[in-house]
Amino acid sequence: MIVIIIKIKLTKFITKNLYLNINLQIMSFIETKTKVGELMNLETDILVIGGGSAGTMAAIVAKEQNPDSDVVIIEKGEINRSGSIAMGMDALNIVVQPGITTPELYMNSARIATEGILDYKPSFVMAERSYSMLKRLEGWGIRFPRDDENKYISLQVHAKGSFLIEMDSPELKLVLAEKVKEAGVRVINRTIVTKLLVDRGQVNGAMGFNLRTGEFVVCKAKATILANGGCARFSLPNSGYLYGTFDYPGNAGDGYSLAYQAGAQLTGFEYTNCSPLIKDINCPLLYITLTRGAEVVNALGETIDLEYVSTQNMLKELREGRGPIFIKMNHLPEERIQEIERILFTVERPIQKKFWENRGIDFREGLIELGETEYQLCGGHGLTGIVVNEKTETTLKGLYAAGDVACVPLQHLTGAFVFGEVAAEEAVKFASNNDLGEVDQNLIKNEEQRLLNVMDNNKSGSISVQDFEYKVRRTISDYAIPPKNEIKLKRFLWWLPRFRDDMKDIQVTDHHELSRYEEIQFILDSAELSVHASLAREESRWGWFHHRTDYPEKDDANWLKHVVLEKGLKSGEVQTLLVDIENGGEH
Amino acid sequence: MPLIVDEDLCTSCGVCVDRCTMDIIRLNDDGFPYKKYDECWYCGVCEEDCPENALIIDLPFQVK
Repeated sequence: MIVIIIKIKLTKFITKNLYLNINLQIMSFIETKTKVGELMNLETDILVIGGGSAGTMAAIVAKEQNPDSDVVIIEKGEINRSGSIAMGMDALNIVVQPGITTPELYMNSARIATEGILDYKPSFVMAERSYSMLKRLEGWGIRFPRDDENKYISLQVHAKGSFLIEMDSPELKLVLAEKVKEAGVRVINRTIVTKLLVDRGQVNGAMGFNLRTGEFVVCKAKATILANGGCARFSLPNSGYLYGTFDYPGNAGDGYSLAYQAGAQLTGFEYTNCSPLIKDINCPLLYITLTRGAEVVNALGETIDLEYVSTQNMLKELREGRGPIFIKMNHLPEERIQEIERILFTVERPIQKKFWENRGIDFREGLIELGETEYQLCGGHGLTGIVVNEKTETTLKGLYAAGDVACVPLQHLTGAFVFGEVAAEEAVKFASNNDLGEVDQNLIKNEEQRLLNVMDNNKSGSISVQDFEYKVRRTISDYAIPPKNEIKLKRFLWWLPRFRDDMKDIQVTDHHELSRYEEIQFILDSAELSVHASLAREESRWGWFHHRTDYPEKDDANWLKHVVLEKGLKSGEVQTLLVDIENGGEH
Repeated sequence: MPLIVDEDLCTSCGVCVDRCTMDIIRLNDDGFPYKKYDECWYCGVCEEDCPENALIIDLPFQVK
């Protein structure tokens, strides 16, 4: 009922009052449905957690592979506009075009970018399947502009080869959501997943609650795909504004925490990364401007050498006291400026237009000051994620992971789509050979009771969720990001149990706040994993991102290894394992 | 960090409530949208998807 009403394009024939009445009825319909403790019990073949780029692709492809299979997406937002690309995206960052580049060439670039901490197969599969993914998207009406010779416009942002293909698609997410609907996927919106259902090392679905109505949702599934992003809300942005992050702040490390608590292995958490983006607002613009002739200058007026848009070179200027740094475009021809403006002001973060208008800055004259974003954990922009193989299999049976939540280093949007596709293929196969697994009813009762207890006990808490999160993330900024050293990292571990204990004082007055409360737990888990990984890697690597002042040198002889984390079966504490890299990590 | 609503254009359809990526918009007693929670990512979805062009979002003071 709700969906139908909202889809009606309003006409002048519907009076405002009539419409308002319908709407208030809907609202009260929602409200009356909202009794805490109500249960939505679902069973499905394939459960996809997270309806962003990877999740929508996974759901669509699962129905393509087997139209008879039942597919459910549980989405924390609303699927038409959710995830990291709610307002579209300007490029597919990694596309291997036949006859122009090769997967092997991409692997050379990826090895250099990851400094050897890279398993060969997943990234190779991504590169190999990237062009057919572009063609799939193009078939769905996503525009990839071509030049005068009818070739896709590509830009070089990798060490070897030109892999970034321009995309012109502010409506990308709407298209994906439409395909999900057409495919007959069941979508459960506004529902946060708080726990995976696990039985003897096998994942059998998930639990969570509707963050408006409080309805408790249990979904049993033959196969589960985690596709719910990285941890954008890690350290505090320099603006001090909690949600002023570079990446979509709805991603609070949900998937990392869920997988860790379920017993899966994770890796790359010591790769704490940030970018130099527009100071204060943290919106991206580097590739769009720098690949079109813009330059970066420092406070001394010197142009910074930017081999393949090296963000590390820019960050170095800031750290070594030659900042502020600026993007300079006043030497570009008018048509080029207009092209840059058109892209920046329509795709991904169109809010930039208002930002510049408010500051009174015109790209034709003014400089754009760059600032360091907050640090984040992300499989797309970094190396952080759930351990997966080239089939997106995690270390838990029945659980697959795709997109920013999974560790396929620097996979960007291409990785989200390709591994969404791969996860669907694998999950469909798994589901066809397996029944719904056993679910311990106590697990369900306990999780529901835990949530009810928070609603009950935290009603009159003395600390607002925002205040609490502010201190958690300030403490992450203080101790968990570079420059790192043992004493500093351990300061965070001193704070960690205090924070967990103090959560009893957070005020939670509705289910929206309960979802923020749960997200604080995800942030704390992500930070705990990150600090343990940073402590374990006793060397420095990836420039600033894992700079240990007590181990300032890169040590290839001993550290071409993955730092893998998992929850100790007996201790319940973070266990750290050092795991060899598939090909020895040569780069 | 206000949500600026043109009350003559707004039909209280609730698309902004429905689409908000951070789930922070609600309709007030008069049926007009407001930000119930101070958690805006200024993604611009509410403004972009409003069928009546009745909404304008402003940036939070800290990032403005």
